[in-house]
Amino acid sequence: MPFLKRRALLAGAAALPFLPRLARAASPLPAVAEKDAVIAFGHIGPVSDGGWSTTHHTGLLAAKKAYPAAKFLEVESIPVSADATRTFRQFVENGANMVFVSSEYGDLLSSVADDAPEVAFLECNGHHVSDNESWYYIQHWKVSYIIGVAAAKMSKSGKMGFVGSFPVPSVFGCANAFLLGARSVRPEATVQVILINSWFDPQAAAQAASALIQNGIDMIYTNLDDGSCLQVAAKAGIKCATWNTDMRAMGPDAYVTSLMLDWTQFYVDQIGARLAGRWAGDGHTLLPVGHGVDRDAWGRTVPPEVAAQADAVRTRIIGGWNPIQGEIRDATGKVRVPKGGSLDDIACYEWNWPVEGVVGLKAV
Amino acid sequence: MQPGELPRTVLPEAARTAFVRMRGITKSFYGARANDGVDFTLQGGEIHALLGENGAGKSTLMNVLTGLYQPDSGEIAIEGHVRRIASPADAIEAGIGMVHQHFKLVPAFTVAENIHLGWNETPFRLDPASLAARTQALSDRFGLAVSPGARVADLSAGEQQRVEILRVLARGTRILVLDEPTAVLTPAEVRALFAALRAFRADGNAVILISHKLGEVLEIADALTVMRAGRSVATGSTAGASRSSLARLIIGDTAIPATVARNETDVPGAQAVPLALRGVSVRDHRGIALLDGVDLDVRAGEILGIAGVAGNGQRALSEVLTGCVRPDAGDVLLDGDASGPRGAREFADWGVGHIPEDRLRTALAADLPLGENAVLRDYRGDAAGSGPFLFPRRLARLARRIIDDAAVNLRDSRIPARNLSGGNQQRLVAERERRIASRVLVAAYPTRGLDVGAVAALHAGMQALRASGVGVVLISEEIEELLAQADRIAVLFAGRIAGILPVAQADAERLGLLMSGQVLPEPVS
Amino acid sequence: MRGFVVQRVPSVSGRVRNAAYAVSALVAVFVAGLLLAALGLHPLALGGSVLKQSLGSRFGVQDLLLLASPLVMCGLSVSLMLRVGLWNIGADGQFYVGAACAAGVALFGPHGSPLLVQITMGLAAMAGGALWIAVPALARLLLGTSEIIATLLLNFVARLGLDWLVTGPWRDPHGMAAAQTARIPDPLPKLPRDWHLGGLHWGLAVVLGLAALLAAAFRFTRWGFELRICGANRDTAAYAGMNVRRRLFQAMLLGGAIAGLGGMLELSGTVHRLQSGLSNGYGYVGIIVAVLAASSPLGCVFTGLLMALVLNAGLVLQTQGVPSSAALALTGLILLFAAIGERLAHYRIVPTRPVAGAGGVA
Repeated sequence: MPFLKRRALLAGAAALPFLPRLARAASPLPAVAEKDAVIAFGHIGPVSDGGWSTTHHTGLLAAKKAYPAAKFLEVESIPVSADATRTFRQFVENGANMVFVSSEYGDLLSSVADDAPEVAFLECNGHHVSDNESWYYIQHWKVSYIIGVAAAKMSKSGKMGFVGSFPVPSVFGCANAFLLGARSVRPEATVQVILINSWFDPQAAAQAASALIQNGIDMIYTNLDDGSCLQVAAKAGIKCATWNTDMRAMGPDAYVTSLMLDWTQFYVDQIGARLAGRWAGDGHTLLPVGHGVDRDAWGRTVPPEVAAQADAVRTRIIGGWNPIQGEIRDATGKVRVPKGGSLDDIACYEWNWPVEGVVGLKAV
Repeated sequence: MQPGELPRTVLPEAARTAFVRMRGITKSFYGARANDGVDFTLQGGEIHALLGENGAGKSTLMNVLTGLYQPDSGEIAIEGHVRRIASPADAIEAGIGMVHQHFKLVPAFTVAENIHLGWNETPFRLDPASLAARTQALSDRFGLAVSPGARVADLSAGEQQRVEILRVLARGTRILVLDEPTAVLTPAEVRALFAALRAFRADGNAVILISHKLGEVLEIADALTVMRAGRSVATGSTAGASRSSLARLIIGDTAIPATVARNETDVPGAQAVPLALRGVSVRDHRGIALLDGVDLDVRAGEILGIAGVAGNGQRALSEVLTGCVRPDAGDVLLDGDASGPRGAREFADWGVGHIPEDRLRTALAADLPLGENAVLRDYRGDAAGSGPFLFPRRLARLARRIIDDAAVNLRDSRIPARNLSGGNQQRLVAERERRIASRVLVAAYPTRGLDVGAVAALHAGMQALRASGVGVVLISEEIEELLAQADRIAVLFAGRIAGILPVAQADAERLGLLMSGQVLPEPVS
Repeated sequence: MRGFVVQRVPSVSGRVRNAAYAVSALVAVFVAGLLLAALGLHPLALGGSVLKQSLGSRFGVQDLLLLASPLVMCGLSVSLMLRVGLWNIGADGQFYVGAACAAGVALFGPHGSPLLVQITMGLAAMAGGALWIAVPALARLLLGTSEIIATLLLNFVARLGLDWLVTGPWRDPHGMAAAQTARIPDPLPKLPRDWHLGGLHWGLAVVLGLAALLAAAFRFTRWGFELRICGANRDTAAYAGMNVRRRLFQAMLLGGAIAGLGGMLELSGTVHRLQSGLSNGYGYVGIIVAVLAASSPLGCVFTGLLMALVLNAGLVLQTQGVPSSAALALTGLILLFAAIGERLAHYRIVPTRPVAGAGGVA
């Protein structure tokens, strides 16, 4: 992955580590008048999912308010198949100046981007960059670390569970950081992972959560789009932390917190840059804690002293501390990060091996 | 007018007594007039025979009466009231019920279930016991013996027909229409059917009987109507009518084909035995023997009749003779050789033609056009293509020629075979098989359901084959036909050859004895 | 009294059926327009943009052809089996297995000349598709098990197996959110740029060629004739000396192979990676394609394009602000009308004449 190494170097050289970063290797695309602008959003799921796609839809609504004269296109539930290419091409055909897609479509997006050099493409959780394409994501592992601290304090057994989708980096990073956070306060903590091969499958998610509970787990963390794990946890009387949105209504007593997403500022800024002729591709953005990704207000059953301890970690992270510190061994016992070393943001973004104590994930 | 209300008019006194009075019925299909101003009158308490060649318009007229077709013009009066019979349901309501040549029963259901299927008097709560009891009561009332619990698939044709008739009578039928009812029956079953019909008539009801068998018509019918080319050409009492007078009416002014007589001359090379069975046994999937140790020689230049009541192994015999089924034991010898061709294709290539007993289910792909059915045998020949390839134009020309040679009077070879009359279907099959039967022709019940003219043509064709040195196997239930056509007659009983008689030694009495499984008083060769 | 009765005609000519399709399509579009108007949208403007973006632009036509290719392949697979009277509900599974076999060759096989790689991929895909249907085929021919259920169930097996491959052993280590294999090194080449269809790949030619080949095989070979007889009446076919079992088996294996080849073309020509979304229900749409085409191979090309147009219209409608659920419902509506039209073509309305002498009472 040579290009990612290059990107990592660029990222390391950037001056302001906690603000959205844009590498300016490519020349900016020309300005567009707001009234002529067409901004397209493609979502991986239904915007009514109450999770991931809803957060991007919320971002779009804010952008609409910020640029009332611009025209917005929005398509939901785009499958990761050749249909996606056709949909993105429709965006271009409809005169889009800027296209946001809320998940990784890879070649399905870049093949369209390559044919439309005057259109800006932004791929969430992608890794492809070109003169008119860049990607963006969040530093979710840092929030997962904070949640891990609180979770380990609240778990009785120290046996915790994680329900994820596919063995992809965002799942590795999430489960790993969750465990590292937990082990920072409780060294014997473990995380049992179950993957359900989907981002949105409430039934499978509920089955996975039940299976974890039957294995004696009393704390579940999930990065799936929906709240069914929380519902199962509430029924079983254990605790659960979720992703995307505030889901406490589904199980107020089980709710620990949620990894909250907020794309509003990012979308408004990016569109503003595009309209002003300042937007250029060939870069990436990883939104830092407090600016697009954060923990939700703690649940009502979280003891105040636990919340305070976790929030202290959060304050350090916002202050610039990198929590992913060595020594870190992987699940086979091999030392991956030596003592004194750390994993930088790009390494965490691309994390594809489980740390010691994370069970059920295999290194790719 | 409200739906369900039917127009009624009081007719003159003369017509009032008639059960059914059809006047000026005209019905066209694809521009061809199947019925052309037909008048037909049925009185109460009579059995009325409807006669005519295939395609004369009998079935169309009856389909109009039973609501399957709407006439283009004309009127129908039932018991003096003009009624529009818009559907079979209207016909049932008017007391008209029809039993078709091809039974419309559900094979997987029991007799009782079939009787109660689609009947508004069927109890809402179904339990087998009450259905069986109701069926038994119906059976007793109409004098038609059926076993309520038996599955229809397991019944003989005669039993199935009784179920079908009972099913129709149960719905309050007073006018019973029967299409070729005796075609599939054994003589004993025919007698039982006629007894039931007479009892039905005695109650003041009426029967319309479509039949080709003039002897039966003269035996049971009180009145008759003859149709020709879509018109009604004669109507009246059966009293004083004879077979020959009826045959003349049916065929019209054209010369009546003389009953084809057996060709008595010997054919050169007649001693050869192209096809023979030695100790052949065939079992069905349950292991029950259909054929049991059959020895049979089919000689060149002779017609070998196979007599017997249906269901005694005829189907297995025709299948084993044509390679459709391989025997479980014994040998099929082609020119005395047991190691020759195997399978239907190889037999056909070797020169065995096959007219199977079930035209619409086996001999023809009913949904496919006439043309494709015509070339079912010849599509592999050089006239249709070359190597693996087929040339559609040549194939169409070939089909056209076969259809023309078969004297199927339809110009359009794209019409599905299903829509042909039974006679046309059989003519097509016979011509197609004759073409490939260079050594042997196996014909199972080839004249079933055919009219006089078609039967004569078919017999003439078989005699011509015989004269050219082909061995013909004629499987039939009609002893008269066998006695008239065959050189030797083998009798099949319970899967065995009960005896083989040269026609000179055969008569109805001796054959009847053999057919019922009794041993002849004297040994025969 | 003057009335009308509805009569059923057992068989209809191709012309009548096509007319029925056209009428029902018009009715469907009209009803769809009413629904869009009810949603507060402008049906005429939407219809215009559907046509403009599907047929009126170079990209639109390209996308249409790209989408039609797998649909036609699955349609051909279903058609071939319908020819012998069997239902292939499993084209989706065969498509996936074919794609997986092709991906295996492309990713892990030896590298040779690009043409050789493509041919090997195609052969592997056909073998995979044929193998996938071999189990239902044998079960059907030896045990009488319904091929409908067996092929359908194997779709789920294929899909889960593919999920396992792309999330497990074959997963692209550089992937972020999507579970897929690495990009195949030698994709199917695109058509020459100066043909104005530069976004299309050579798979399209394979699809059209195969349709023509099948049509020719049906019409110009004894084998095709036998398939037709076997499909119309197996007893008749056996009586006429055809080896019915062998023909059914051949048709099933070939049907599976065609669907598998469709998977290879989609992988190698369009998507370039094995992923679980590779077939977006193409195998099921292929059933509709085949039925609408009355299982004629050349007809499948047209109905495949038609289906692609309908599905593409759904996408265009979404970019115009129609909710995805409504677009899906409209797509279903059009198919429903097409199916109804096919049935209705068998009926005609006949005026009944007044029965003589009955006039006075009515």
